[in-house]
Amino acid sequence: MALRVDYIAKETANNLVRNPSLTIATVLTVAVSLALLGAALVIQRGVDGLNTRFKDDVEFIVWLSPEATEEQRQSVDGALADSPQVRDHRFVNTEETYAEFEEFWKDSPEVLEAVSPEQLPTSYRVVPEIPDLAVVQSLGQEFEGLPGVRNVDYAGEYIKRLNDFTRVASNIMLGAALASAAASALLMYNSIRTALFARRREIEVMRLVGATNTFIRVPFMLEGMVQGVVGAAISTLAVFGLNRVIRNLLDQTSFRLFDSFALDSAQLFPVAMTLLGAGAIIGFVGSGIAVTRYLDA
Amino acid sequence: MIKLENVTKEYPGSTVALRDASADIDKGEFVFLVGPSGSGKSTFLRLLNKQEDPDEGRIFVAGKDIGQLSSWKVPMLRRNIGCVFQDFKLLPNRTVSENVSFALEVIGRPRHVIKNQVPAICDLVGLGDKVDKYPEQLSGGEQQRVSIARAFVNRPLILLADEPTGNLDPQTAIGIMRLLDRINKTGTTVVMATHDRGIVDTMRRRVIELSEANIVRDQARGVYE
Ligand SMILES: Nc1ncnc2c1ncn2[C@@H]1O[C@H](COP(=O)(O)OP(=O)(O)O)[C@@H](O)[C@H]1O
Ligand SMILES: [Mg+2]
Repeated sequence: MALRVDYIAKETANNLVRNPSLTIATVLTVAVSLALLGAALVIQRGVDGLNTRFKDDVEFIVWLSPEATEEQRQSVDGALADSPQVRDHRFVNTEETYAEFEEFWKDSPEVLEAVSPEQLPTSYRVVPEIPDLAVVQSLGQEFEGLPGVRNVDYAGEYIKRLNDFTRVASNIMLGAALASAAASALLMYNSIRTALFARRREIEVMRLVGATNTFIRVPFMLEGMVQGVVGAAISTLAVFGLNRVIRNLLDQTSFRLFDSFALDSAQLFPVAMTLLGAGAIIGFVGSGIAVTRYLDA
Repeated sequence: MIKLENVTKEYPGSTVALRDASADIDKGEFVFLVGPSGSGKSTFLRLLNKQEDPDEGRIFVAGKDIGQLSSWKVPMLRRNIGCVFQDFKLLPNRTVSENVSFALEVIGRPRHVIKNQVPAICDLVGLGDKVDKYPEQLSGGEQQRVSIARAFVNRPLILLADEPTGNLDPQTAIGIMRLLDRINKTGTTVVMATHDRGIVDTMRRRVIELSEANIVRDQARGVYE
């Protein structure tokens, strides 16, 4: 049987404008819950990016003081070589340090101008046997006290803390997003139930003259899905906006560590698709349950 | 065309609305279903287009046992059965012609068919000059004509009318009966529930009388009592 497209389009449009306040409330609820979901996804992708960048970075850095003598340097080298807990260590001279420094501050020529290679300290990059933060810390402390050592940095520590924090934050957001997605499906259910009730006369006549259940159902399901997808589109715009803000902040600070949190369009595309899909599903499920319960009653 | 075999219908709360009812109605017949309020007339009609299902017995429409009909085929059954009600069931936000078109639109009839059929049927029921009016701008008799047009526009085999003159004054009711008679003369089987003694006695058609859920009389060319 031909489902008359013009009829369905007209009915769906009529349903949407029949109760504008409820339609808007439903769309906004979907938008807010999916914006939360989108933010959680962006953060998770950022964390993933951070982890790929620093996956191998369980090393710690033993900085030598600029006044350290060659003798002191050799004894530190020996201590590192002798330690059974150290897998590998590598001396980084001033030129190499300056090259890293240059790379890190490449956007801030004024910093670079103020520093010359000789002013930078030399260091040992140390890869421990056991890449565990607690082990690395106690190991690092052994070297902290050696003469000629200025201090020990645990690169992994900051990453791990940040990692833990963002994981927790994004899981909380994901939980909140799921809860509010459920809430918006419920509101969707009520919105469609209200539409069904407003159209109960039409529906009664449709059933009496022999309209199929599909025919009766489709405009209401479409109404739900339009509300879901429009809400999802709004949330997608919000996520794109958030991403733009993050990028601007990162550009201003010229602090490269968090670069992975500003997604490029290839990374944003699947996020947008996920949100639009989730919006359509919320609309489909909410309206589907409402229509099925109404028509089977 | 319509056959009931020992049909019993009981509503929840053990109200028996129809008990062991049997009847055989031929194609083209005009049948009055009479009896006081609550005697089971509306239930009888609702069983015929599967708005209700019997608890016992079998019902045949156009030779088919409608108890065996799968639920997705029920709409096809209903396309062959027009319905008219005491309260018209018109859609207030649609004009006369929109109300009639609605019945064709929602069963997926193509636009050119609707364009042809709707004005023709509006003429037939005598509302050719009122197609753009809304139900509230019409008298009760005119509203009932719209609902008959809607029930008949798809040329059903059967027309069920549940007290179609119940809300109308006697003069208007006569006009409606003339219209139903004309529709019957086109070969459509008409089953009409009523407790309008005057109409039944004037028309002298087959009468099936219900009393407390039982068929107590089935008489050709009958009167109300
Ligand atoms: N949906 C229903 N639920 C429960 N009882 C009903 C329902 N419809 C009708 N009845 C009962 O069934 C009996 C017959 O009702 P009905 O068929 O409407 O009679 P009539 O049309 O002759 O007035 C009445 O006692 C009525 O109260
Ligand atoms: Mg009744």
